[in-house]
Amino acid sequence: MAWFSRLFSGQETPNPALTAGQQQLIAAWRQLPVPDLQRSHYRCRYVVVDVETTGINVRTDRLCAIGALAVVDGQIDFKDAFHLLAEPAEPGADPAPGLSVRPHSEPVAGHPLVDALISFLHFVGKAPLIAYNVPFVAAMIERTLTECLGIDWGLAWIDLAWVMPDLFRDVEHAGGGLDAWLDHFSIASIRRHHAVSDAYATAQLLQITIASGAHKGFMTPASLIELEKARRHLHQSG
Amino acid sequence: MSNSATEMLVAACIQFLQAHPPFDRMEAEALRFLAEHVRLAHYPKGAQILSSEMGVARTLYILQHGRVQVRASGVASSSNVESAPNTLGPGQAFAIAALMAQRPTSSSYVAREEVFCYELPADDFFTLTQKSTVFNLFCSQYIAGLLRQSQQQLQLQFAQRAAEQKTMNSPLAVIVKREPVSVAPETSIRQVVALMADRHLGSMVVVDADEQPVGIFTLSDVLKRIVLPGTSLEQPISSVMSATPQTLPLAANAHDAALAMAMHGIRHVLAVDEGGRLKGVVSERDLFKLQGAGLRQIRHAIDAASSLDVLQHAREDIRQLSLTMLAEGVGGQEITQFISTLNDTVTRRIIEINLDRHDLYGIDWAWLSFGSEGRDEQTFISDQDNGIVYICTDIMDRELTQLRFLDFARDVNADLDTCGFPLCKGNIMASNPGLCLTLEEWEERFAQWVRTPEPQALLNATIFFDFRPLYGRFNLAHRMRLSLFRQTNGNPLFLRMLAQNALSVSPPLGRIRDFVTSDDPEHSGTIDLKKYGVRLFTDAARVFALARQVEATNTATRIKRAGALMNISQEDVAASLEGFNFIQLLRLRHQHFEQEHGRAGDNFIRPDELNEIERRILKEAFRQARKLQARLKLDYQL
Repeated sequence: MAWFSRLFSGQETPNPALTAGQQQLIAAWRQLPVPDLQRSHYRCRYVVVDVETTGINVRTDRLCAIGALAVVDGQIDFKDAFHLLAEPAEPGADPAPGLSVRPHSEPVAGHPLVDALISFLHFVGKAPLIAYNVPFVAAMIERTLTECLGIDWGLAWIDLAWVMPDLFRDVEHAGGGLDAWLDHFSIASIRRHHAVSDAYATAQLLQITIASGAHKGFMTPASLIELEKARRHLHQSG
Repeated sequence: MSNSATEMLVAACIQFLQAHPPFDRMEAEALRFLAEHVRLAHYPKGAQILSSEMGVARTLYILQHGRVQVRASGVASSSNVESAPNTLGPGQAFAIAALMAQRPTSSSYVAREEVFCYELPADDFFTLTQKSTVFNLFCSQYIAGLLRQSQQQLQLQFAQRAAEQKTMNSPLAVIVKREPVSVAPETSIRQVVALMADRHLGSMVVVDADEQPVGIFTLSDVLKRIVLPGTSLEQPISSVMSATPQTLPLAANAHDAALAMAMHGIRHVLAVDEGGRLKGVVSERDLFKLQGAGLRQIRHAIDAASSLDVLQHAREDIRQLSLTMLAEGVGGQEITQFISTLNDTVTRRIIEINLDRHDLYGIDWAWLSFGSEGRDEQTFISDQDNGIVYICTDIMDRELTQLRFLDFARDVNADLDTCGFPLCKGNIMASNPGLCLTLEEWEERFAQWVRTPEPQALLNATIFFDFRPLYGRFNLAHRMRLSLFRQTNGNPLFLRMLAQNALSVSPPLGRIRDFVTSDDPEHSGTIDLKKYGVRLFTDAARVFALARQVEATNTATRIKRAGALMNISQEDVAASLEGFNFIQLLRLRHQHFEQEHGRAGDNFIRPDELNEIERRILKEAFRQARKLQARLKLDYQL
């Protein structure tokens, strides 16, 4: 429904604080074609993301960093990776002035974060997004995008926290979270809780997931989305 | 685009690689290049990562996580069944050989568990080999490791064939091939002896009406029982035969036969079936062949030989023993030297036998060998290349003396031919008046070639300057050598021309294809390993040796000795010798197969029929030849 979102995006008031160049870049992102989610895992580009935040409250805590990397045709290329630093995560550390994103604070056009977020938009393109614990990750990123760029991201998300238990039913996984999965597949972290490191670890989980999915008949991003939806439905109604 | 995310991932990759050889020793810049250009791929348990069906290798794999099972596939035959399946773990790389040869891999690689691999595209792989000497060395050593594997494979192939051949454990049924010839007891001695002479039999079995052996009569009995006692030839054979001969069932093995012979002091054992009927004769000689004649026995047999018959057998034994050596994994250099040494022994014996009939007493002379024999590099199909040098004190006697030597040489050449050294088509033989010369004549001839290096003179140099004394006064050859060095030293132009001549043939390495093969329709698709292989090394080595006054004629020795004087590193010397030896080994193997299939045996090998490893090594061998040629170009500014 591209026309529909475009209809609404037209109604979105462009943030007056953005420069013409920035608005142009955002418009260019909007024009990017939406990839076909029916193509094989090994013929598409996923973007795996993770975030660092000041806490776990979606409404009050702030985004400190985004780590993202692409899994293209099933492979990870280190050059196809992205790191966005909004604010040092260390509590108590005095954030550099103008670098932090506070709720409802007006972003400034000259603000480096705006350019960084626009770069991030273009890094992701319209690729399907992968995260572990999507509700939190998505909320943090999307809120920031809306606040700073005034856009509604609207990309497809796939949550490994939901997909993996379905594909690896024989794995004992009593709510151990990401760490339990990494342990199970003995994937080493470079630096746990660093956004890029966690995104890298999650990307390796994605590689394992799509291999197992392809083996069990879930060959495409769309099929993983369906799988997640069905599982959520089952759990919420049960 | 350099960013902090990439930076972090690359740094982590570098850290991983640094924990594993050869990357731990790799230059920082090259290591960074590697880490920046790999991609991380995942393979689930049981997935085929790489196999020969996937075509030319396009990627280097470095295992990051998990284990991979390697199974040899494609490469010839059952010999690989023996090699246990191999497992690779984190930090180990694969597909190096296939990448370097730009061919499909010969093994298949299967993930034994969840596997993560760093993968480097072929182009980046080649860039890396250029950037990093450490990595380059690693890859060459990896190939060298494969060389050893290949030699083991070769040995295995031969060992298997040797096993198929008869051993001392084989039953007599396998050993006796010929239909036994037998006669009835009442046959006359005359008939029996005639039959034996006619069929070249060493023994005759006498059987009764049921075909059961009742006696045996051998050649040695002729003397003792017929000639000396003056027995009438019309008598029946039963009157002179040895009655109740030793028999063994067909199922008995060669060991049993050897034991029976030792116990009863006899030379023949009869093999019979269940009904006691004669099925074959096993002689001591048959068993001797099975045991595989040892070097000492052969030498002993040659030294004691009084007739060409024995020497002919010795030639066959030499061939057999060389084959055994081939099977035992002895190198090409050792085998060719071994063949040359034993051929020398045979030749010396033939010379000695002929000296009994030709009086050369009082004359100083020496028998010379040239060409491959002069270099101690004979293969299974080398022909004769020989000559004579002698001293003639009185110029008036010269012609007469030469005639005596020519007479002698003609007989030796003919006898050598009988014993399996074919006459030289180019008439490079001592019986050629042009090659049966006095010391002064030889010196004059050498001097002339050196002073006027026209094409024919250069060609002669490649044959005759590799002379080696075989019999007689060795000091004559030494004087020839010194005089040759004086000439070559005083004529730098000659060595330059000889170098140029050596460079006229290039290693058959293709720019696009691996090898340049013959365009002669009769031998299309082949490489002449003599002209385009061995000769590249021998020609270069000859120039090296003459320039540095190294007396040796053997190519390996020349390269070693001259190499030391030329400041060529030991590794480089070893590498070129390895290349040379590999080519010799391929030649020997090829000649052996050809001869086994009843063909004459030549030097045309088909690179297509070699396995991947052998092709790879052959290419490397040719590169070594190119290195020697490069040195010649440098030395003589060609």
